[in-house]
Amino acid sequence: MSHEQTSLAFRENTVRALEDSALRAAMKQATDTFGTKRADAFAPVRDLEALRDRASAIRDDVLANLPMYVDRFVASATRAGAAVHRAKDAETAREIIRKILADRGARRIVKGKSMVSEEVDLNSHLEAAGMEVVETDLGEYIIQMEGETPSHIIVPAIHKNRRQVGRLFADRLGVPYSDDPQALTKIARKALREKFLSADAGISGANFAAADTGSLVLLTNEGNGRMVTTVPKLHVAILSIEKMLPSLTDLPAFLRLLPRSATGQTITSYVSVITGPRKAGDATGAKELHIVLLDNGRTEILAGESRDILKCIRCGACMNVCPVYRAVGGHSYGWTYPGPMGMVLTTLLTGMKKSHPLVDASTLCGACVEVCPVRVPLADLILGLRRRKVRDGFADPRERRGMEAFGKAAASPALFALGQRLAGSFWPVVRVLWGKDVAGRMPAPANPPLRRRLP
Amino acid sequence: MSAADRERIFLENAAKASAGTRSVSGTGDLLAALERVVAMDSPVFCPGVTELEKAAAPLFPVRAADYAAAAVTVEEVFGAIAETGTIVCTSAGGRAVQAGLLPAHHVAIVRRDRIFDTLDDFFAAVAVAPPTNITLVTGPSRTADIELTLAIGVHGPERLDIIVARMQA
Repeated sequence: MSHEQTSLAFRENTVRALEDSALRAAMKQATDTFGTKRADAFAPVRDLEALRDRASAIRDDVLANLPMYVDRFVASATRAGAAVHRAKDAETAREIIRKILADRGARRIVKGKSMVSEEVDLNSHLEAAGMEVVETDLGEYIIQMEGETPSHIIVPAIHKNRRQVGRLFADRLGVPYSDDPQALTKIARKALREKFLSADAGISGANFAAADTGSLVLLTNEGNGRMVTTVPKLHVAILSIEKMLPSLTDLPAFLRLLPRSATGQTITSYVSVITGPRKAGDATGAKELHIVLLDNGRTEILAGESRDILKCIRCGACMNVCPVYRAVGGHSYGWTYPGPMGMVLTTLLTGMKKSHPLVDASTLCGACVEVCPVRVPLADLILGLRRRKVRDGFADPRERRGMEAFGKAAASPALFALGQRLAGSFWPVVRVLWGKDVAGRMPAPANPPLRRRLP
Repeated sequence: MSAADRERIFLENAAKASAGTRSVSGTGDLLAALERVVAMDSPVFCPGVTELEKAAAPLFPVRAADYAAAAVTVEEVFGAIAETGTIVCTSAGGRAVQAGLLPAHHVAIVRRDRIFDTLDDFFAAVAVAPPTNITLVTGPSRTADIELTLAIGVHGPERLDIIVARMQA
């Protein structure tokens, strides 16, 4: 089939990932830890369900009135002194940012963690223009040095162990080898401090944008987000349009939900609320602030049946509980956003032709729905995409014929009994023909089957 | 909520986030607390602008003219939030929020009457006309990016000390 060449190689990637025992151990540790910490963090919260309802209602309101809130944000941010740019797609966003930087002669760029900048592949574009772009979140710093992409949206380098990081730092930074995370953190602090102080510009994302005040909100733990947005004289922020909140007074609900859902913290070490650039009498803030609002297909998603995915606030809780993600890790998904929210958003942003293999990456167990702090109906969205996959002709016809045959057999007691007898008798042959690897993962059919053993 | 309850909850939550916490009454107490908290042989940046900072500044033998050259920043901050054990730094009044970011040790003095009960109370108070920069700070700079092992002091301070000051009018 022609679409096979251009589609994401999810199945192939998962086979490789499942054979990588170090990766599986790291994923298990990360997702288990986050799961436990999340539960502990929410335990003392009274009226959690009411809090989720409130946050969900705010996000529903944002999506129902998104063009209005975006316009309001643009007006407020402009009034506060920021220059706001609207980018319809990734290419436009990259080019706007390159031009802002190039026009001001900026060559040394420090960058805070931003999944939207990954989505538009910003770094390679700026590097091709001769700029040095340094990721300053510790996890991003590690994977940038290794030439990799994030495997988890909250802890991007979770697939690497401390010895790998130690060897990488020794190789690239010329420091003595250490595998102590605290020592490695200090090494990165020193190397990156020089970058912050000599940078021409900082690039950040934003977790939220308040439409009424034109403020950007960033949640970080390391302090690199604070550095990037206050130390260089030029700050460029890139965010997607659905990050809007109607008012800065809506923020508390999300400050209570996002860190608890993401890392099990009551609140992140730092929450920065940035309203415009440095003004007369100020001693804080970049002298120039540019905000790039990315659409990249979101207006189209908003008009369609999957629009609730745009409620997502990127906490990563759905990934940590997803049995598929936990087993195969973020890289298997092949694009920026992994896990349940990722498979939905990726399919919508990149199209069914490219992303149809991802639509299978769910058991529909519903664990993601249970943990989502803003009640994104992920299972319904995944089911909707599966229907579309069939409708658009990307489903394997053998699967359909097989299910139809099973349906007929299951509806007839005689055929069903025959099927069971055949399965029981031929199972040893199947194991020989298709190898123990494939058949070995499936339980052998009971022989005789249970229904004949019941009284 | 009484001022004493608010202070107690704030200090409990700040301590849970690994901040050092003290509570003082009057300027003499404040100076004694600072002597215990600040390494006196390190270069200290103290803006010396507010009344409390003016009282504190002469205490430090090695004064840094600029926060970028300091090992410690001692400053009075905008306020605090009891719900989360958070101190609030803002750019209002020409304050440099980076002063509490670059040095490895941040000592924040907060007046007891500047503690807000909840995040909602705080944002309701500032949302009408937010200053250029509001930074909520809860505990020291931290990461768990390597094997989810907690490491302190990545880019921001590795040590945060908070002194709640109850001043007689």
